[in-house]
Amino acid sequence: MRSPFQSEQEAFRFVLLVIVALLPVVLAAVLGPAWLALVVLAVVLLAGAARVAQLRMRKLRGLELPVKMAPPHVGSPEERRVLVLAGDTLGEQALLTEVERLARVPHTHVLVLVPALISPAARLTGGVDGLLDQARVRLKTALDRVGHELVVAGEVSDADPLEAVEDAFATFTPDEVIVSTRWERGAGGLDPALAGLVRERFAVPVRHLVFEHGSGAQEPDAATEARYRHESGDAAARLFGLRTLAGAAVMAALLISLVALVRSGERNEARTVSQAAAEQAAAAPHVARLVVLKVIPEYKPGPEGEKHDAFTVTEFTVKVGQPQELRIDNTDEVPHSITSPGAGVNIVVMPGIHTYTLLVKHAGAFLWFCTFQCDEWAMQHPGYMSGYITAT
Amino acid sequence: MLSSASTDTHTVKLSPQPWRWSHPRVLVEHPDEATGLAIASGLRFAGYAVAICPGPAGHGRCPLTGPAGCAPAHDADLVVSSLGYEHESAREVLRELRTRYPDTPLLVEAPSDMDASLRELLDGCHQLPAPASTEQIVAAVQSIAGHPSDEGSTDA
Repeated sequence: MRSPFQSEQEAFRFVLLVIVALLPVVLAAVLGPAWLALVVLAVVLLAGAARVAQLRMRKLRGLELPVKMAPPHVGSPEERRVLVLAGDTLGEQALLTEVERLARVPHTHVLVLVPALISPAARLTGGVDGLLDQARVRLKTALDRVGHELVVAGEVSDADPLEAVEDAFATFTPDEVIVSTRWERGAGGLDPALAGLVRERFAVPVRHLVFEHGSGAQEPDAATEARYRHESGDAAARLFGLRTLAGAAVMAALLISLVALVRSGERNEARTVSQAAAEQAAAAPHVARLVVLKVIPEYKPGPEGEKHDAFTVTEFTVKVGQPQELRIDNTDEVPHSITSPGAGVNIVVMPGIHTYTLLVKHAGAFLWFCTFQCDEWAMQHPGYMSGYITAT
Repeated sequence: MLSSASTDTHTVKLSPQPWRWSHPRVLVEHPDEATGLAIASGLRFAGYAVAICPGPAGHGRCPLTGPAGCAPAHDADLVVSSLGYEHESAREVLRELRTRYPDTPLLVEAPSDMDASLRELLDGCHQLPAPASTEQIVAAVQSIAGHPSDEGSTDA
């Protein structure tokens, strides 16, 4: 796999850039809702993609200054290294004759490079081996036809043709490049614009030889080369633009889905919480703001048939920490009480009508009773002078 | 003879360094493709890694004069400038080279009939009378930068 970085410095700068770009995303994630982080991420990604696309388009359209480069010559000054780039033209006798002519020149090394022209689809579907085998067979067949007394090296590359040339500059260091194509690109053939692209990139002489079936080598004139370059640049820019749009659309769809998913999750969570609260509220006993009751001597009959002293309300339901008002009319002549050590409650109910506050600080069901001496049986039986306080 | 007259330097933010070779690197600025290639070939056979730039003529603005700077110029060990200096854009490139990379040796193919401003601009540069042959340029580069083979350079 080829590294997209040309130097450690470039890789380091990329890492720094990624960290800086992700900072607002992290901040948004920490300080805001999840969907905001996704939106910020989308903005950052789109900005990055737009910049990359802009630079790439400039390059594809040839708007950058064409700086060519080349490594130093390798070997003695007499040596010449010629790289021949070929596709389907390898079957042409004229090309092989040219290769033989070059190989016969003393101190000249010839490398025939055959890019396997593997499309992205083939890479995805695993059809690489077949294409590589096809290229190998084509190369072997061609080299078998070259005079056996000549030394001509051959190589098949699975990389993009331009990258394959770049690799060859690292390993073979050619002094000259020959790109052989047809006038128009066909299946298994190299793009005629390739010669122009190699010429733009590498500081060595580049010859473009065109071979058609059975005819000799021809060299396109400058106008034709310019047309190839123009068409290729436009086509590549169009293709790149379409891919960028498709990529942006897929990314936008993914992000929108993610945002929708997150927001839906948040809504469901909120709904669940509110439903739970509603259910809890519905399940909880009704808590009145003011409870009105009386204490009446000999008011309520017991199981033996005799009437006993009693509070008219003996079950109190309160909210923890929330005061509950009780308006109690004590019709007796003596005080009574609502006392519950467990609930921390001790209300002395004086004769007459008075309002008291019942406050419980923790949840639970607590027994209360009257601590003033009155009806002994009633004091011991909930529902009479005793009962329960339920705090929720 | 090496120029270090210019003291007006400023920091340049650069795009990634594109040189793939660690051999002594020579940037050749020449508007003519064939001549540039011939000079490059001579330098390559003398053991230098080369880059050829056609300069600003016909190619819009040179990145060297913009905020991005020029990556090949940034890391070149020596610059050979043969842009012809009748146009202001070429002089601007030369000015930027001297300002941004005062420590990088600059070899200029200089016309014989220089005006005063150009003479001032080239003051302290290594100069060759234009038109210089490839052999003259290679010899001048070797005298300034030394012979690469003497330094035992290796691939990047």
